[in-house]
Amino acid sequence: MVGKFEGIDIPKPTPTLTEDSEPYWKGCKKHKLLIQRCKDCGHYRFPPSGICPKCTSTNTEWARVSGRGKVYSWTVFHYLYHPAFSKDIPYNVAIIELEEGPRMHTNIVGCSNEDIFIDMPVEVVFEDINEEIALPKFRPREKQQ
Amino acid sequence: MGESLKDKCAIVGIGFSEFGKRVPKSTMTLTLEGCKRAIEDAGLAKEDVDGLLVALPSAEGERHGWVCRVGSFLGISSTFSAGLDIGGATPIAMVQLATMAINAGMCNTVVCCYGWQNSPMGIPLIMPPGLDFTTPYGDFAALPFKAHVARRHMHLFGTTSRQMGAVAVTFRKHACMNPQAQMYEKGPITIEDHQNSRMIVEPLRLLDNAPITDSGGAVVVTSAQRAKHLRHRPIYISGMGQAHSGEFMRPWRDPRYPEGTFEGGKAAEIAFRMAGISHKDIDVAQFYDGFTILVIIELETYGFCNPGEGGPFVEEGRLELGGELPSNTAGGLLSEGHLMGMGHIAEAVRQLRGECRERQVNDAEVAFVSGYGGSPHEYPISFSYSTLILTR
Repeated sequence: MVGKFEGIDIPKPTPTLTEDSEPYWKGCKKHKLLIQRCKDCGHYRFPPSGICPKCTSTNTEWARVSGRGKVYSWTVFHYLYHPAFSKDIPYNVAIIELEEGPRMHTNIVGCSNEDIFIDMPVEVVFEDINEEIALPKFRPREKQQ
Repeated sequence: MGESLKDKCAIVGIGFSEFGKRVPKSTMTLTLEGCKRAIEDAGLAKEDVDGLLVALPSAEGERHGWVCRVGSFLGISSTFSAGLDIGGATPIAMVQLATMAINAGMCNTVVCCYGWQNSPMGIPLIMPPGLDFTTPYGDFAALPFKAHVARRHMHLFGTTSRQMGAVAVTFRKHACMNPQAQMYEKGPITIEDHQNSRMIVEPLRLLDNAPITDSGGAVVVTSAQRAKHLRHRPIYISGMGQAHSGEFMRPWRDPRYPEGTFEGGKAAEIAFRMAGISHKDIDVAQFYDGFTILVIIELETYGFCNPGEGGPFVEEGRLELGGELPSNTAGGLLSEGHLMGMGHIAEAVRQLRGECRERQVNDAEVAFVSGYGGSPHEYPISFSYSTLILTR
């Protein structure tokens, strides 16, 4: 499949804001990682939703989290699923676990794919995509920080 | 708790459409062909069918009222119908629901069917709708998630790519005894072939993945009483179970795993309890094998071995015909073709009927079948396991 889309300029998919996710993406645009926290049991949840999966409370606040975490698992894409990523192949996609608990997909930036490892300490960095969207990505972090 | 449904119903017919990498027929036609052949295999007429269950097709726009439309096209007037979607766990879930509906007096004879056209109108569906928290990062489809799972399993337990390869090699060997298999013509593969196959999403290689298959299929379920008077010997539904969770991404609670990582155990536990048998009683198994790593995880989570032992288990040839747990004897999704798990039910039925010739497991009396699916690429990523224990 690689090469099939050569020369075609197709933009990468970008998130669509919904009632549930708008505060998350607006936070990202301000380069702040906001995660929902249950005001009754304190559980952090991701992706955004109206109910706490731990206690079913609807009493929720958006909390700014540390942005620190570690790599839970990671992959490297050699197959081109979407033409917009043709120049990035081979690129990594990682699942990171935030210090506050939630796990999320992201890209690891600031190091080569070969240097990624499970439990690698990472911290958030925001990549501005357009006027509305900044994508949270993660870069290696020194352990003592 | 109600009365046990053990052996109250039986699978009496199985059937498939023409299937392969590219079959230029609609989802509906593939579905109808499978239904027709399953009803004929049972020795029934469509007028005998009064229940219809469908797996909802994955293509957008094909879902609304799908089960009613299938019934209309088949010319079936049912008194119980439903469309189900728990991904690859759906075919088994349909057989389970059929068993419940029959015993609840809603209907007597149920066709459980699916159809899967990967390229409706010739347009490939290689980019299913992901969601906002995956696709902007270049993460698409089900396969990459299993790559994450494989990496984590390798990290936790030392599982190797060669061990995953052993699953692919074994099931291909079985497919070479099944002239209907999509990979039959391709012939056997070796571990080296697996290791040399191109990387798709690290650490998964091409041969770690099931092929794309256009297909339709169905099974017919009826009461045990009625099953005794039909064309084939009845294959009884002796045990069934399910388990659903947000494992891996939103782990719940299976204390056997260090992190609560893989949580299909309940699906097997409930089925074994219902059937009143244990793992050692299984003569032949059909594990849902969209990806090689999945078989390793299922062996562990269903209790055929301990967590972390799945890799060595498959490497020692125990899944081969003649081995301790002959599995995916038609080739599985990996080599028979991606028949959505309906193929797994059908092969278990064929084995218990004794129809498998060269690949027949001697005197097979008890079969274990599993399905697996859920939402592998749409947040919150969540999973469904389904199981059947079938006996003759």
